[in-house]
Amino acid sequence: MAAVSFEYGLALAAILFILGLVGLLTRRSLVFMLLCVEIMLNAAGFAFIVAGARWGGADGQVMFIFLLTMAAAEVAVGLALILVLSGRVPGAVPDEAAAGGEPAPVDMRSLLDTDYQKDAQAGRTRP
Amino acid sequence: MMLALFIVLPLVCGFAAWILGSRGSTAGRWISLAGNAFNLVLAAWLWIAQASGSLVPVEGTWLALSSMPWIPAYGISFTLGLDGLSLLFVALTSLLGIAAVLASWKGIQEKVAFFHFCLCLVLAGINGVFLSIDLFLFAFMWELMLIPMYFLIDIWGHEGRHRAALKFFLFTQIGGLLMFVAIIGLYLAHAAATGLRTFDYRLLLGTALDPTRGMLLMLGFFAAFAVKLPAFPLHAWLPDAHTEAPTAGSVILAGLLLKTGGYGLIRFVLPLFPEASRSFAPIAMWIGVAGIIYGGFMAFSQTDMKRLVAYTSVSHLGFVLLGVFAFNVQALNGAVIQMLSHGLSTGALFILVGSLQDRLHTRELSRMGGLWSAAPKFGAFGLVLTLALLGLPGFGNFIGEFLVLLGAYRASVSVAVVAAIGLVFAMVYSLRMYQLAFHGESSDTKEVRDLGAIEIAALGAMIIALFWLGIFPQGAMDAASRALGGILGILGGTA
Amino acid sequence: MSASGYLGLLPLAILAGSAILVLFGLAFARQRYETAFALSMAGLVAALASLFFAWTGAPQRFTALLVLDHFAYLSMALSIGATIVVEFMSFAYFRARREENGEFYFLLQLACLGCAVLASSSSFASFFLGLELLSTPLFTLIGYRREREAGLRSAFMYLILAGVSSAFLLFGMALVYLETGSLDITTAARAASGSASFTVLAGLALMTVGIGFKLAVAPFHVWTPDIYDAAPAPATAFIATASKGAMAILLVRFFAPAGIAGAGPFAWIFAAIAGISMFTGNILALREGNLKRLLAYSSIAHLGYILVAFVASGNQGSAAVSFYLVAYFVSNLAAFAAVAGLSTNEAEADSIEHYRGLAKGHPWAAAALTASLLSLAGLPLTAGFMGKFVIFEAGAGAFLWVLVVILAVNSTISIFYYLRVVSALYRPASEAGTGSMSPRPAMPALAAIALAAMAIAIIVIGAMPGSLMAFIREVARDIASNAAAAL
Repeated sequence: MAAVSFEYGLALAAILFILGLVGLLTRRSLVFMLLCVEIMLNAAGFAFIVAGARWGGADGQVMFIFLLTMAAAEVAVGLALILVLSGRVPGAVPDEAAAGGEPAPVDMRSLLDTDYQKDAQAGRTRP
Repeated sequence: MMLALFIVLPLVCGFAAWILGSRGSTAGRWISLAGNAFNLVLAAWLWIAQASGSLVPVEGTWLALSSMPWIPAYGISFTLGLDGLSLLFVALTSLLGIAAVLASWKGIQEKVAFFHFCLCLVLAGINGVFLSIDLFLFAFMWELMLIPMYFLIDIWGHEGRHRAALKFFLFTQIGGLLMFVAIIGLYLAHAAATGLRTFDYRLLLGTALDPTRGMLLMLGFFAAFAVKLPAFPLHAWLPDAHTEAPTAGSVILAGLLLKTGGYGLIRFVLPLFPEASRSFAPIAMWIGVAGIIYGGFMAFSQTDMKRLVAYTSVSHLGFVLLGVFAFNVQALNGAVIQMLSHGLSTGALFILVGSLQDRLHTRELSRMGGLWSAAPKFGAFGLVLTLALLGLPGFGNFIGEFLVLLGAYRASVSVAVVAAIGLVFAMVYSLRMYQLAFHGESSDTKEVRDLGAIEIAALGAMIIALFWLGIFPQGAMDAASRALGGILGILGGTA
Repeated sequence: MSASGYLGLLPLAILAGSAILVLFGLAFARQRYETAFALSMAGLVAALASLFFAWTGAPQRFTALLVLDHFAYLSMALSIGATIVVEFMSFAYFRARREENGEFYFLLQLACLGCAVLASSSSFASFFLGLELLSTPLFTLIGYRREREAGLRSAFMYLILAGVSSAFLLFGMALVYLETGSLDITTAARAASGSASFTVLAGLALMTVGIGFKLAVAPFHVWTPDIYDAAPAPATAFIATASKGAMAILLVRFFAPAGIAGAGPFAWIFAAIAGISMFTGNILALREGNLKRLLAYSSIAHLGYILVAFVASGNQGSAAVSFYLVAYFVSNLAAFAAVAGLSTNEAEADSIEHYRGLAKGHPWAAAALTASLLSLAGLPLTAGFMGKFVIFEAGAGAFLWVLVVILAVNSTISIFYYLRVVSALYRPASEAGTGSMSPRPAMPALAAIALAAMAIAIIVIGAMPGSLMAFIREVARDIASNAAAAL
């Protein structure tokens, strides 16, 4: 059977991983950040499958299933947190911004920096 | 087992003073006084026993040894040993402990119980330093005495106490940690050479070390002791700490803590690293001389009386460093006598300055003056202590400085000549201090209350001890000489 | 599998089972908060007790996933003990805030189970499972006080960071697995240590990043102060101790037997991380005025100290890591117990100003907090001093003189800020008065018990560490021999 060389699979996984990382660093929306983390995790999972395929064992796939479960749990908690936060931080969830007028800044900075938020609410800008 | 009493008793007294003293204010004072008095009696009994010959060395030069396992996994034991040298210092600790309690009788009115807890803990740590011959235990005790000392300065000190306490702590701590690392280095070197993992001083003696490693380890030890002593460039903590500490704190700092540095040099640096100390000796002697001159010069230019006394310590302890590294029996004996008499005379001076400050609320020499006529007892005690400070024959200080110079002359003429200049400085700053504080006229000192009975008792005891050291130094020298002889024997030095 | 084999699994089983019981209790009991606390406490104590029975059966392997040796049991005992103390300090803490949600104890117990699995894992799969079992409840624990927005934000931040670090770790594992063909930790580590292939090196490097995040060592430490500050004090205590401790234990298990830690490129990397962490943590802590953040920075430095022992590797190194962890656990738990116990409903007791004059109002609490801070600073008569000693000894024994001197310098720097706090305890309360602390409320009984127990442990370990040290050395000798036997 002509198998695909495992290097290709690995390269794909690496590209996915880096894509996720870059996305995480550039995107500011919480939901997108969560997505990017998922992409990174799935890249790791894919790498496990590639590695499992190389050794012809089920280990890689087992790890992937574990990983999927864990990612699901993490997303569940993450989304729950976003929901709770959406009530407090303006614009934490994109939908909310779309529903009412001008979209507020949807970014990590607004999430982590109280002063910034107050400034944003008061319409001030900071360098 | 008796030796452990020297450490355990102050510890127990400290806790008792803290717990019982938190209700009434006098219980703490009496408890710590009693503890120290008991230790003094114990030390005096040991002294008489060894002088009369009924207490004979059990092993080498050790008069008494006690040992029990502590952390066997690392070859650490709770081993205490007493020889003539440590006996002298333990006796000094008890005497100055009593003096410190008496000196704080009136001066400390806040948190009295906790004060005596700290005081007793420092004394326990100092006794531990003088007695432990397990190097880990030594390092443990070395660090142990710092924390309560820090509290003594930080809580009951004067205006700039927080800064001074921190400075004191940081300087001594970094030195102590370097020593700790060096101790572990020595332990590992010994383990590598013999396969025996032990911190026992007696076994570590004579560990074969290659020159570089020996020098590095020696410098680790030296760093700790030089900071404590203090040797010239490392003395920066001392003037602040002495000035800001409460009277009892200054007495203990100057009288005892500085002595642990000199004691450590004699007990550990010389015998553990004979080759390295021999090659380091010229530098060390010049450091000592630099301290003598610098301390004297700085003392001369002070206007704060306590600070002045603090700088004289730098000068006097320079003699100790000089004497230790001259490698002969006169100089070593001189260093020991110098340490004892410096402890007594400077401790007494700090008590005097402290009681002056209690009355005048100032330490400025310019605001004193005329005390001789206003408070004659102050004047008399001040005169005696000033004469001791400048090294008049008849006081221990004279014997110490004289012997050190004699020994240093044999080691290096140029060093001895420059060091002798320090004596001139001593004359000048002592007389200047006396002149400014006790003669002349001042409106501030008219109404001064004279020395009270407690203060006279403390000062008198210390002055008697000073005279004893000055007139009959042979007793102390005999006690120390067997131990010092053993150390010189390791060094292969000239006797 | 023999009966004694299952006996060995008992601690894990009890932890998991009682976690489920807690959940049932929450569903059916009337007094939800008290029931959850009692059930969870009973489960933890039972798990701790079961360690004695399991001890004799060790070492053994349970399937390919778990290795139940003495080292694992020791670290389980540590995690469970820490969790018990955390529960003690949290009972009154949440009650006072009218957030009597018993789910806290369920989550805490799950996280504790995660620590236990992590400590006994012998395969990448169980490593990963344990890690996630630990992290996922932590997200919620950090943001547990829903009315505190800062907590929620930090929880989300921790979630993202934990996800990223897991991704790094997993990708690294995948690379190592790709090259070595084994998910078994010891086998993979041994195969990796012999190999110089790029894939393996990259894999190990990625794993190091992932583990570095979890341990919060520099340069992966940025999240620590925010999380420490925003999380409720008991949760912070758990993150600072059990969570990091389990990770450090795993690090020893993974890297130490194969000699990856002691030689080759990774020795240099870990040495560099150790050095940078010590300096970063201590220097950042110097000017910090918030006690929780200060402890966060100091924990960065402490993990740096632990890494020194880790790099020293060998039996001495492993023993030093374990012993230092014990000292670090008790000191930190005492400090956080004081913070949790002294926090009021209005304000977390986090500003150092807040602690001025504590010696007057709460002399015993002040004494205990002093013991804990002095222990963190590594001064004698405290556990921290003995911990420093074993690390010095291990480091010097492995000829890591540079690291040892850096450690000595850093302990001195650290004393500066610990003493700043200690000194504040004994100063009179400021006249300006932050208001919130005067009059000071009495400390809740359970938190006081936790504080007292930890303070006594600090002193006892500091004065008589002999048997504990011997015990830990014996246990640490285990992991090398087990790793050898596993081959």
